Amino acid sequence: MKLIKDKVAKLSFVALLLTVAAAMFYTPAASAHGEKSQAAFMRMRTIHWYDLNWSKEVVKVNDTMTISGKFLVFSGWPETVDKPESAFLNIGIPGPVFIRAGSWIGGQLVPRSVSLELGETYEFKVLLKARRPGDWHVHTMMNVEGGGPIIGPGKWVTVEGSMSQFTNPITTLTGQTVDLETYNLSNTYFWHAFWYAFGVAWMVYWMKKPMFVPRQIAMDAGKGDTLITATDRKVALAFGAGAIGIVAFTMAQTNSEYPITTPLQAGLLRGMKPLDLPTPTVSVKIDDATYRVPGRSMNMTLTVTNNGDSAIRLGEFNTAGVRFLDANVTEDTTGYPDDLLAPEGLTVSDNSPLAPGQTRTIQVTASDAAWEVYRLADLIYDPDSRFAGLLFFHDENGNKQLVQIDGPLIPTFI
Amino acid sequence: MSASQSAVRSRAEAVKVSRTFDWMICFTLFFIILGGYHVHFMLTGGDWDFWTDWKDRRLWVTVLPIVGITFPAAVQAVLWYRWKLPFGAMLAVLGLLFGEWVNRYFNFWGWTYFPVNFVFPSQFVPGAIVLDVILMLSNSMQLTAVLGGLAYGLLFYPGNWPVIAPLHVPVEYNGMVMTLADLQGYHYVRTGTPEYIRMVEKGTLRTFGKDVAPVSAFFSGFVSIIIYFLWHFFGKWFGSTAFTQST
Repeated sequence: MKLIKDKVAKLSFVALLLTVAAAMFYTPAASAHGEKSQAAFMRMRTIHWYDLNWSKEVVKVNDTMTISGKFLVFSGWPETVDKPESAFLNIGIPGPVFIRAGSWIGGQLVPRSVSLELGETYEFKVLLKARRPGDWHVHTMMNVEGGGPIIGPGKWVTVEGSMSQFTNPITTLTGQTVDLETYNLSNTYFWHAFWYAFGVAWMVYWMKKPMFVPRQIAMDAGKGDTLITATDRKVALAFGAGAIGIVAFTMAQTNSEYPITTPLQAGLLRGMKPLDLPTPTVSVKIDDATYRVPGRSMNMTLTVTNNGDSAIRLGEFNTAGVRFLDANVTEDTTGYPDDLLAPEGLTVSDNSPLAPGQTRTIQVTASDAAWEVYRLADLIYDPDSRFAGLLFFHDENGNKQLVQIDGPLIPTFI
Repeated sequence: MSASQSAVRSRAEAVKVSRTFDWMICFTLFFIILGGYHVHFMLTGGDWDFWTDWKDRRLWVTVLPIVGITFPAAVQAVLWYRWKLPFGAMLAVLGLLFGEWVNRYFNFWGWTYFPVNFVFPSQFVPGAIVLDVILMLSNSMQLTAVLGGLAYGLLFYPGNWPVIAPLHVPVEYNGMVMTLADLQGYHYVRTGTPEYIRMVEKGTLRTFGKDVAPVSAFFSGFVSIIIYFLWHFFGKWFGSTAFTQST
C-alpha cells in the first residue's frame, strides 16, 4: 500500500512539474497597449486626433504604409499634465514590428522632440516599413514630457512574410551602403569575444593555482606576501601593459578606418508649422452636460449660433478618438476602426439645417458601448471632472468645420 | 568517524577537496556578483548602456565608469585582502558582461526583436585588468583608487570605440544629418522611450570644441576615484567576519 502511495505521490509531483513547465511555453501575444487604462481626461483633453487614415490593413515585410491625419493640441489642456513644450510624435506598436521610416509634422521631419502650441492643429504623417509578421494594433501616439504617452486611436494591421527577409539599407555620407539591421554586428561580436577571452585568460592564470583554503591558511600564518611570486608580477605587468597597448592600438586603427564620425544628434525642434485653419463661423455654448452612468450616454445641452453664410448641421462628436456620428448627416468612408466608431451614436433633438444668423438650443446625446469599453465613463473618477471633444458641423456645400468644446460634466447614477 | 576527525585521509584527497571547494566558490561567486552588479548597473547606467543612440561622447563616457567601478572595487576588497587573489575587478566585470549579453540577446532581441547591433552592452575589461594589476603590484588601496580609478575612467571610451565608431558615421536622412546610431534609435520604435528622455550631448562643456570625450573621460576618472574608495569600504565591511562573545 505504501509503495502505491509513494508512486502516486511521485507521479503527481512529476505531473505538477510538467504542468508548470508547459505553462511557461504558453506565451500569447500582448495585443493592447493599455490605452483603455489611461485616465479618460487625458485622452479627452490633450491631443485630439482626427481625419486619420491608415493607408493599408495588410502589408508585406519590407513594404511601407502610412498613418496620416491631423491632431489638435487642445486649448483646455489640463493643469495636471505638463504642457507639450517637449513632445515626441511616436507610434504605438508592440516593439519594432515596423520600423519608423519617417515621421512629419506640418511637412517637417521630426526624428526628435518638438514643441507644440496649445490650440493649434497640426498635420502629421508617419511612414512605417513592415518588419515582423503578425497582427499588430497600430496606434497614433504623442509622448509629452511630464505628461507621459498620450495614445490615440489604433487599428489592426496584418504584416505578412518572414522577418528574415527584412532589410534596412542606408547610404552614409561617406558613400557606403549598409544594412542597418545587421550592420556592425560581426565587429561587435568580435571585440566583445576578444575582450572576454582576454579577461578569462587573466582569471584562468589565477584559478589554476590553489585558491581559497591554502591561501586562507597562508594569510592566517602571516605569509600573505609569499602568495604573489615574481612570475606573477611579470605576468600581471604583461596583462596590464598589453591591455593598455591594445586599447591604444585599436583606437588608432579605428580612427584611421572611420576618419569621419559625428556626435549623436540631439535637440528640441521648435517652430512646427500649424495648419492655417479658417476661423470657425459656428459658435457653441455648453449649457449643461451630464453623463448617465446606467445608459452609457452623454447628454449635452448646447446653444449653437451659425455666423457663416451656409446652413449647417451637427454631424459628429469626437472625443478620445471615439467618433459618434449622426447617420442622417454623415458616415465614415475612411475605414475607421469599428470599435471606435458609433455610426448612429449621435442623436440631436433638432438637427434640421441651422440657417445663417440663427441660434438654436439643442439636446445632443452621444451613446455607445464605447463609453464603457474604452473606460471613458471613468471620467467621473478623474481629479478634474470636465469633458472635452470636437464637434463637426457640415454645411450645404459638403464642407465641415470643427469646434472645440470643453466644460464640466455631472454624472447621473439613476 | 567522530566530529573531531578530519574528513580527508591523505594530502591528495585534501588537495582534491580544496580544489572542488575553489571551483564551487568561484562558480557561486560569479553568479551572485553577476546578479547584484547587473541589477545595480541596470538601475544606474540603464538606458546609457541599452541603446547605441545613448552612447554619446559626454554622458555615456562620464556616467558608466562611475557607476561601473562600484562592484569591482568591492569584490577586490574581499578577494585581495582576504586571499591575495587579484582578480576581483575582472570577476565582477566578466559577470556583468555575461549577464548583460544574456539579457540583450534573449530579452531585447529574442522577445522584443530589437536588433543586437542596437542594444549590445558596453564592456569594462581593459579598466578592470588595470585595476587588478595595480592592486596586485602595489598592494595599496590608495594607489589603486587613484591610479586605477583614473585609468578605469580613461580606458572606457577608447576600449569601446572600435565597436561604437562605425555607428557614428553620418547619414543624410530626409534633409537632416544623423549618425547611424541616431537612425537606429529612430527606426526601431521604442514606445516607452520617447526621444526627449534621451540624455545625450547635454551639459555646459562647450569650450573644448569637438574634443569632449577625453575631458569627459578625465572627469569620469576623477569621480571613479571617489567611488572606488566608497565601494572598497563597502566590500571590506561586507566581507568582514564578526564573532560574538559566548556567554
